Amino acid sequence: MKRRKMLVRMITASLLRRRSRMLVALLAIAIGATILSGLVTIYVDVPQQMGAQFRNYGANMIFMPAEESFTDADMQESLSTISSKELVGATPYQYNTVRIHEQPILAAGTDMAAVQKTSPYWLVEGQYPAKTHEILVGKNVAESLELSVGESVTVSFTPEDKSKLDSTIDFQITGILNTGGSEEEYVYVSMEDMEELTALPAHLDIAEISVSAGSAQLQTYVDEINAGNTDISANLVKRVTASETTVLSKLQALVLLVTVIVLALTMICVATTMTAVVSERRSEIGLKKAIGASDSGIIAEFMGEGILLGGLGGILGSVVGFAFAQFVSVNVFGSYISFRLLLLPITIIVSIAVTSVACLLPIRSATSVDPALVLKGE
Amino acid sequence: MFFKMIRGTLLHQWKKMLMIALTIALGSSLATAMISVVMDVGDKVNQELKAYGANITVVPKQSSIVSNLYDVEDETPGSAYLKESELGNIKTIFWAFNIVDFAPFVTTTAALPDGTEIHVVGSWFNHHLDLPTGEQLDAGMSSLRSWWDIREGQWIDEQSDTGTDVVMIGAALADQEQISVGDQISFSGSASDAKLTVVGIYESGGDEDNQAYVPLHVAQSLADLSGSIGSIEVSALTTPDNELAKKAAKDPSSLTVAQYEVWYCTAYASSICYQIQEVITDSVASPVRQVADSEGAILDKTELLMLLIMFLSLVGSALGISNLVTASVMERSGEIGLMKAIGAYNRSVTALVLTEILIASIIGGVVGFFAGIGFAQIIGQSVFGSAISIRTVVIPIVGVLVTFVTLAGSIPAIRMLLGLQPAEVLHGR
Repeated sequence: MKRRKMLVRMITASLLRRRSRMLVALLAIAIGATILSGLVTIYVDVPQQMGAQFRNYGANMIFMPAEESFTDADMQESLSTISSKELVGATPYQYNTVRIHEQPILAAGTDMAAVQKTSPYWLVEGQYPAKTHEILVGKNVAESLELSVGESVTVSFTPEDKSKLDSTIDFQITGILNTGGSEEEYVYVSMEDMEELTALPAHLDIAEISVSAGSAQLQTYVDEINAGNTDISANLVKRVTASETTVLSKLQALVLLVTVIVLALTMICVATTMTAVVSERRSEIGLKKAIGASDSGIIAEFMGEGILLGGLGGILGSVVGFAFAQFVSVNVFGSYISFRLLLLPITIIVSIAVTSVACLLPIRSATSVDPALVLKGE
Repeated sequence: MFFKMIRGTLLHQWKKMLMIALTIALGSSLATAMISVVMDVGDKVNQELKAYGANITVVPKQSSIVSNLYDVEDETPGSAYLKESELGNIKTIFWAFNIVDFAPFVTTTAALPDGTEIHVVGSWFNHHLDLPTGEQLDAGMSSLRSWWDIREGQWIDEQSDTGTDVVMIGAALADQEQISVGDQISFSGSASDAKLTVVGIYESGGDEDNQAYVPLHVAQSLADLSGSIGSIEVSALTTPDNELAKKAAKDPSSLTVAQYEVWYCTAYASSICYQIQEVITDSVASPVRQVADSEGAILDKTELLMLLIMFLSLVGSALGISNLVTASVMERSGEIGLMKAIGAYNRSVTALVLTEILIASIIGGVVGFFAGIGFAQIIGQSVFGSAISIRTVVIPIVGVLVTFVTLAGSIPAIRMLLGLQPAEVLHGR
């Protein structure tokens, strides 16, 4: 009991009296721990955050009708399979041929708010339609029919049933759509306007779904949806999913490798600093041996110091490291990350391990030497 | 005397000096590796993002609206086409070096022996091209369709000896018509017939699964369109758009002369499009926003992420170095107290300590620089499968950084040395 008390007193006294040295050592450990916890947090969070960036490529899953068409209820039912956290957006489409200036044009009825989530790359000159009887016109259509934002345009639809009259609605053009793809040849209106124009029973021709998940998980969803609802045939957009897997795995490997290299170098750096701090105390070790301390007693004392420093540095580093990871996440991805509790003990244990190993080497060489030689200064 | 003392330190305290040099080497290798990787990561990730396919499409002026919108089956020659002979010009524009790959496309319809009408697309696969500039290159669509799964057989090889009367069939079409690799199928086009050998069956996950892909000239002769092409897909390394690029994309003539020069000489998607339009007669080149826009976003994020990680590791290595320098100088207080006791000036003690540390840091810095290049190459080779190019600008950055950090790290230690009272130190307090 007495022994333990003495050990504790020696350790705390040593830390307090040799403040400047201990501060140097603590700083070194804290830097190592900061880099460890900061980089590991980033590494763990990057796939998810980067995955969200890749949703910029648009829909990675398509619902197509298994027979003729499907309804909004079918779509909602299938969507419930997908975890709401991973679902970025789902956009229904209904296509009909309409006439503008007596030219046949393909018109799509859709959900304007959802489109902005599933196709974030759409560039709209002007604004998305928000009110009823507003229309978004593809760039090619606008150019060939000489339409511009703010104008009013009459859209007419001829029902298949020849006995009925053509229905017409005047739309206000709120935006011109620019994508560089085939979307520029369509016009877009809200689903309600489309139903009013065509007077057809509510149905969907296609739905684009954007899901933030890995390719294996996506395949599971597709299989589940196809098994669950017989009206819908879900498919993956191979171009988006396959490419995303390729690129994302490279990015992840990059961050992993950088993390490993930075960590290894930092840990060696911490170890050399600790070694330098401990080597300085050779004469102290010699003196203790001369007055009768056992080798194991000396090692226990130094280890105690190392563990205390490692623990303190680890806690300090965990906090600073998390702050750094949070800073990166907010600045790069614009989202917050949650503190990973598991990382705290890991950081502390690694800090203690590195500190202990770094102390052990110089202590062992000091204890193995004859105290007389050490005290003499050789 | 000064040099004798330094030599003495280096000879007798080489272990301590080695430790300082080692730490500085670690720090500088970290800095070198991270700076090199950050400088190159944009290009590398850009290269990877090419997996998403072409980011620029070129179509004839006033063409697409008719053929795509109404899905016109019988495109008559005489409607707008681009000239095949001008294709090589794409590799002669200002940003030719940034053009990774490109392929022409011509789409026509042909009937199978059982009467089924299908879309037949002619393109280049690995077409060999001799440019007017004397350069040679292979261009084609295989890298623009990296997500295609070749279910059976292989890609069309235009340079093989097996001849060019070959075809690749989409998976859905192959299943429906029960076609397999090696079969001979006759296609009857609007102008002529062709008997082609199936070399591959692909799965694309899109409309292409119901189509057939053939070498360009085969499709041209089927539809009697020799020398004409319908569209070109270009995959180019581009710089993410900024305000200037957005303004220029709307109307290049709205720029001032200086802005125009900056825009023209930066690899924005819009300036590359503009330059392609200059060399291909009657063409409209436009960025595919789905690819170009997302590329920009991902590139920006990745670069920023790596930059912040680099910043953290630089701060870490700087603190590590200065920490060790402080520790190692503190350790020598006894020796320095003795020097002061026998009459050394503060100035000469400082000079001595600084010189010693600088020698160690130069050695450590040089060793660390080369080790850092090694680390950068490990990252480059194992992640991207290609070397990270080392830019000369890294050398002065790392040099200045190491010198500055070493000197800054010595300041607290030197202040402490100057404050040392020889009597106290020698007494052992």
